[in-house]
Amino acid sequence: MRQQYIARSTVLAVGLLVVSIAIIVQMFRIQNSEAAKLFLSQGDLYAGEFQMFHPERGEIYDRQGHLLAGNRTVYEVGVSLNDMKDVDAMAYVLGTYMDMTFEEVYDKLTDSPESWTYIVIKDYVDAETVTALQEVLQQLEDAEDNRLDGLGFKPHYQRSYPEQNLASNVLGFVTRDGRGYFGIEEKYNDLLAGNPVQVWVPRDPNKAIDIPKVPNGTTLVLTLNRDLQAKVENILDESLIEYGAKNGAIIVMDPQTGEILAMATTPRMNLNNYTDYFQVYDNGSQYNRSIGMAYEAGSVVKVLTMAAALDTGAVTPQTSFVDTGSINVGGITIQNWDRQAWGQQDMTGCLQHSLNVCMAWIATQMGSPTFYSYMEHFGLGHPTGVDLSGEAMGRLKVPGDSDWYPVDLGTNAFGQGVTVTPMQMLMAVSAIANDGKMVTPHMLYAMLRDGHQYNVPSQYAGSPISEQTARTLTQMLTVSLESESSLALLPGYRVAGKTGTARKAGVGGYSERRYQAVFAGYVPASRPRLVAVVVIDEPSAGAYYGGAVAAPVFARIMAGALRLMEIPPDDLPDGTGLVHSAASPEELG
Amino acid sequence: MQIQATRIIHAYRQAPWRVQRQYVGAFLLAVIVVALVSALYLDVTARAALAGREIQELRLGITAIQRSNADLETELAGLTSSTTMQRRALELGYRPVKPGELDYVFVPGYVAPEPEILLAAVDITTPAYRVPKDYTESLLEWLDERIKFGAAP
Repeated sequence: MRQQYIARSTVLAVGLLVVSIAIIVQMFRIQNSEAAKLFLSQGDLYAGEFQMFHPERGEIYDRQGHLLAGNRTVYEVGVSLNDMKDVDAMAYVLGTYMDMTFEEVYDKLTDSPESWTYIVIKDYVDAETVTALQEVLQQLEDAEDNRLDGLGFKPHYQRSYPEQNLASNVLGFVTRDGRGYFGIEEKYNDLLAGNPVQVWVPRDPNKAIDIPKVPNGTTLVLTLNRDLQAKVENILDESLIEYGAKNGAIIVMDPQTGEILAMATTPRMNLNNYTDYFQVYDNGSQYNRSIGMAYEAGSVVKVLTMAAALDTGAVTPQTSFVDTGSINVGGITIQNWDRQAWGQQDMTGCLQHSLNVCMAWIATQMGSPTFYSYMEHFGLGHPTGVDLSGEAMGRLKVPGDSDWYPVDLGTNAFGQGVTVTPMQMLMAVSAIANDGKMVTPHMLYAMLRDGHQYNVPSQYAGSPISEQTARTLTQMLTVSLESESSLALLPGYRVAGKTGTARKAGVGGYSERRYQAVFAGYVPASRPRLVAVVVIDEPSAGAYYGGAVAAPVFARIMAGALRLMEIPPDDLPDGTGLVHSAASPEELG
Repeated sequence: MQIQATRIIHAYRQAPWRVQRQYVGAFLLAVIVVALVSALYLDVTARAALAGREIQELRLGITAIQRSNADLETELAGLTSSTTMQRRALELGYRPVKPGELDYVFVPGYVAPEPEILLAAVDITTPAYRVPKDYTESLLEWLDERIKFGAAP
């Protein structure tokens, strides 16, 4: 009996062992089979998913910390088709809340391909609409009503411009595909947008820590002063109405640093409705006329001609010139703007009366190579390098060009035949305001990234004239404005500057009725802190001379700018600050 | 003589039930150890999963707060925009100051203020750091690692 028991036990044990070994072998075989690899790879598909993380676009601030471009949350409203219970109810509710017709929503929900499990009904839906929809959803859930099952909301960012029209020509805009167009948004698009990162996001909660942090786009701080920008834009708009002008451009800059404090042009648009672009502008160069459109330079170039002549020693302020009303250059007779002879003049008089003949004579005294060399050093015919997208170059014909003729030396000397953008004009004049040194104009003050602020240093752009020449010319410009009681003058401050009136070129030559009034100048003349250029395009309400149209606009802008920037008058020493207004509270009230 | 020796050996041999009990005891001990390790593993894994889920939820919370921050910042900028502030100032009876109404006073050593660092715009997010692997990997992952790459130096 015992022997039988042992035998049975042994057989059973062996049997179990064989089965166990067979199971283990089978387990190993299955684990390492091709099918297992296929199953594993299929399993991996559901272990997580690749997700593209778009960083928040960097914000844009003015120099005082006012937000000019930020982000706000909008939603993609979609429906999970497998979870949808009631198409009619879904179409009715979404149509009602999202400003769509029942049929539109219904068709989207029912006409989608078989393979689709999710469909977007509408994107960029504002937060208020989504909140209202979520409330409806909640009410139905509370009532255990599943008719809106499948409705979902995916939040994402949309660019927002809280100042709407303000500085629109400078900022540019961002379209729904996240790309910046024009201005700062285009120029610094890569910095602002940051780097989207595609990440494998595991569903295993143990691996949650593996999801990397996607750094936001770089935040930019501009050199713009928001309040000054608003003031300049207001003054420009009022001036266009007052003078019946078509368009205008004004730039205000710190000549020592090249920081642009305000840049206003027309027309402007509400950046939150960027699709209006095609209604507002005919082409891209109109978006920011300060940098995108080249104008006939006009008499402001006389300042540069005089600067070159003083610097080379061709003339001194006391050099005498007898103006006979005409001069022959390259076989062509050049006349003054009023076709009159002004008699004996010194160089200050030539500037004060804006004498074409005198300037043409000065240019001939210097000769073509010297004259054009100086003009090029002043930046004419070259982009300024301002950090805005869409800068035009203007045109400076030089000897050797197929369309350059000897008479051009004379006409170019008083600004005819030379096209410049307002930005180029400003940069050239800033050299005189900054003791002969030019600084590349720029909009970017600083970048903020990962908790650090990186300030952008000023970039030296050459010294077309000496310090002594710059100071001498400043004195001449100041005296010439004061002698004629220019409308550009400001009480308490000495102003240096030059008016310009250019006839616009049209089909068949220069127009007799279409002008540009220009003024370029700087204050306080004794230690210039602000340089500005004003261009009023096609004034039509009577006055059209630069001295009558652009000069008073310059004065209004500078009066506001000096106050906002707390710049004391010339007769007060350095270290003077604005401390208070003398107006009493009663007066203010 | 040989019979006597066999008897002596038999006298010192363990009783069969004793041997069986030792086997059973050893088996039970092994079962208990395995059960304890399994329970510990289960507990650690469950807590890690909970922590992981919590991290995911916190991350979603951070994203939501960042969105809310951006929304509030933009809303605030709209409420304090240049146009709005000008309108409010005029409604309160203020008017732009005129040049003649300004007094400038000489202050020795006065330096006009430069733009400040924009604290509101600074990203103060703490730098991302990784939890050491020792705190996240499971026992099976650890074993797998050891089998694949051998013992750690």
